Amino acid sequence: MKTWKYRGLLLAAALSALPLAMTANLAHAAGTLTVALERDDSTWDPIDTFTLTWGRIGSNIYDGLVQRTPDLKLVPGLATSWEFLDDSKRIRFHLRKGVKFHDGEDFNAAAVKYTFDRLLGPEGAKGPQQANYTSIGSVNVVDDFTVDLVLKSPDPVLITKLAGYGGMIVPPKYIEEKGDTYFNLHPVGTGPFKFVDYKPKVSLTLEANPDYWGGAPKLSGLVYRFIPEAATQVSELQSGGVDIATLVPISLVKTVSDDPKLRVESITGPDVVMLRLNAADGITKDPAVRKALIQAIDRDAIVEQILQGNGKPIASLQSSLSFGYDPDLKPLAFDPVAAKAALAKAGVKPGATVELSYIGSDATFREVAQTVAAYLQGVGINASLKSYETNVYYTDLIPHGKTGSLFQYQWGGWTFDFDNTAYLLYHSGQFWNPYIKDAKLDTMLEAQRATYNVDERKKILNQIADYTAEQAFEIPLYNSNTLYALNKRVHNLAPTPDIRFRFVDTTVE
Amino acid sequence: MPVYILKRLFQALFVIVAVTLIVSFAIRLSGDPTSMLMGAGGAISETDLQNIRTGLGLDQPFHTQYLHFLEGIVTGDFGKSFFGGGSVWNLIAQALPATLLLGFLSLFVSFLISVPLGIHAAVRAGSFSDQIIRILSLVGLSFPNFWLAIMLVLIFSIKLNMLPASGFLAYQGLVLPVVTLALILSAVNVRIVRSAMLDTLSTQYILVSRAKGLKDRVVLYKHALRNCMIPLLTFVGLQFGDLLGGVVIVERVFNWPGMGSLAFDAISSRDYPVLQGVITVMALLIVITNLLIDVAYGIIDPRIGRS
Repeated sequence: MKTWKYRGLLLAAALSALPLAMTANLAHAAGTLTVALERDDSTWDPIDTFTLTWGRIGSNIYDGLVQRTPDLKLVPGLATSWEFLDDSKRIRFHLRKGVKFHDGEDFNAAAVKYTFDRLLGPEGAKGPQQANYTSIGSVNVVDDFTVDLVLKSPDPVLITKLAGYGGMIVPPKYIEEKGDTYFNLHPVGTGPFKFVDYKPKVSLTLEANPDYWGGAPKLSGLVYRFIPEAATQVSELQSGGVDIATLVPISLVKTVSDDPKLRVESITGPDVVMLRLNAADGITKDPAVRKALIQAIDRDAIVEQILQGNGKPIASLQSSLSFGYDPDLKPLAFDPVAAKAALAKAGVKPGATVELSYIGSDATFREVAQTVAAYLQGVGINASLKSYETNVYYTDLIPHGKTGSLFQYQWGGWTFDFDNTAYLLYHSGQFWNPYIKDAKLDTMLEAQRATYNVDERKKILNQIADYTAEQAFEIPLYNSNTLYALNKRVHNLAPTPDIRFRFVDTTVE
Repeated sequence: MPVYILKRLFQALFVIVAVTLIVSFAIRLSGDPTSMLMGAGGAISETDLQNIRTGLGLDQPFHTQYLHFLEGIVTGDFGKSFFGGGSVWNLIAQALPATLLLGFLSLFVSFLISVPLGIHAAVRAGSFSDQIIRILSLVGLSFPNFWLAIMLVLIFSIKLNMLPASGFLAYQGLVLPVVTLALILSAVNVRIVRSAMLDTLSTQYILVSRAKGLKDRVVLYKHALRNCMIPLLTFVGLQFGDLLGGVVIVERVFNWPGMGSLAFDAISSRDYPVLQGVITVMALLIVITNLLIDVAYGIIDPRIGRS
């Protein structure tokens, strides 16, 4: 008898939890698409950040003068056409008429001028976007729907960059009236979706802009949920809490594809992963040694086994989507015997030790690093693995040249043009380039920036790729696929290599 | 009593200053938010970085920055986040209720589980059900909380689709994180209750109250339980710090928009003002909780208050 009392208590506790549990899942609201993003950028001003996650949201709120389609073609955006004048020192943009910002303000030449003055002025100097647009000297209003961008230095990639985030057009009156801090948290643009609500670290909610110049979106609303853990994003996708997971760990690809409600997209993306080498010191100072290290590693096996085929080995630091990609440049073949011989010839004694630095939180790369160490062991080199926290890695180690002889690096190349990657990683004195000082390389890098001739640029970029491969400045590992997963109720969503979806035509069941 | 309270307040102040000083100093040693602000992928020059540092006040010497922060605590202004410029106070005001709700509800549920089970185990010490409870508690103690969290999500969100897998969009979102934390807490608390109850049951006054013919229920819940509460409360006070620590991981797995997630993001991005604000509030919470528990001793056991 005496145990009845607390049995009752337990029962009561269990019962009180039931009504909570019985209520149905709230997801899958009609016409609303929910997307999981790994990061809350905390500001929705185009000039404050330089992250892909921002671009994924910003591309639905704002428009640039130029737009890039999912298959990477540049098409008219807020400008209907443009022409190069004065020997390409001036670009004239003809603007779209009848476009309004979400607050009702008119889009016109003054808004374009305001946007670029702000980007290139003191407000822009506080953020990372300004550096991308420094070739623009000034913006002149010709008439209400015509503007000239006057260039102070040639920039063949500028039109591509105008389709990027920093060049997105912002409303002058709204920002002047409400102030910058308010604008950060209550963005207004001309894009297909309007801002509704932002809950820090939780979600950003948008609704369709029925007056969008490109046609009203088919969705009624768009919700971004900020979920930093990849496994949690996938759980939410599986349980119907989100429609699209933008972070899918390779280990969960099979689980998701096996689910009849879901599908995985694994497409060629911009990301390249490499082990950069300390070309200034140690055994990796010798190009022959660097080349031997590349030959010592079976990169096909890494892609097959660790990435489970979700990537391709590379010969230069770009994917096949990049301008400047040369299909004839083939990755160096796996040849441990030749590697061993080359190391002996270069005077590297068996048992030589090198440090391999990498970012500890990257689970996939941890496996890659361990595999690389095993391959190096095969040619008589002991690689000691040393992992670092992300921030320390990028702010202290790399810029100050404190890495090991081999160090992990990953680059996205947001412009899909080899210029961005090559210039920032190879030109001497660049922030992300602690070790390489090569006059010949510098000359080539500068030369391709000085010409608007497409064929000429392509030729130089190919030469740069050949030269860096020959010098073996790094061990190019692979171009990892862009992976995302979605519920099959989502339709009309074109595969997008940088996941910068624009949900204008997308529908949900 | 006033002297005692003053003394405790002084201790609290010392703890807060010490904690914030150590945290503010250490976080500045381990990295710099400026290149994170610039983001990877862009051209960065030293001048750009210098401009940003000046804009954020990071070019000032450490003591100036720290004094500025202390001044902020007094005036109630924790400053602005480096990322987006939102007020730190607003971020905390949104995150704190979510964490407190999660923390206190977990403690409460763990009491609901551990007190009856602990008493049962003590009353029937050595019996089969006592063995089962002790084994379950051992299993619970050995569980990593994130593993339990993942298993619960797998069963209740993915297989049964009864509860959301993460987030705090509706109250259903509370169930899995609370169950995770409560089960882990209960594993310890059951043992505390059981051993405290065993001690109490062997005392003479229990023998006396049984001898004078009181019902078992009255003996257990009126006389014995009250005496068991002292060790349990002491333990909860200590546990509260652990709980806030454990919350960081559980919040991460469940994407709970609380102080743990805020701290985690602030550390990764080196958002000094947010981190300093979060740590100050967390330290305050622990200090206040322990203060409250001291007061509660006096209520539960009047003998403590009198001495």
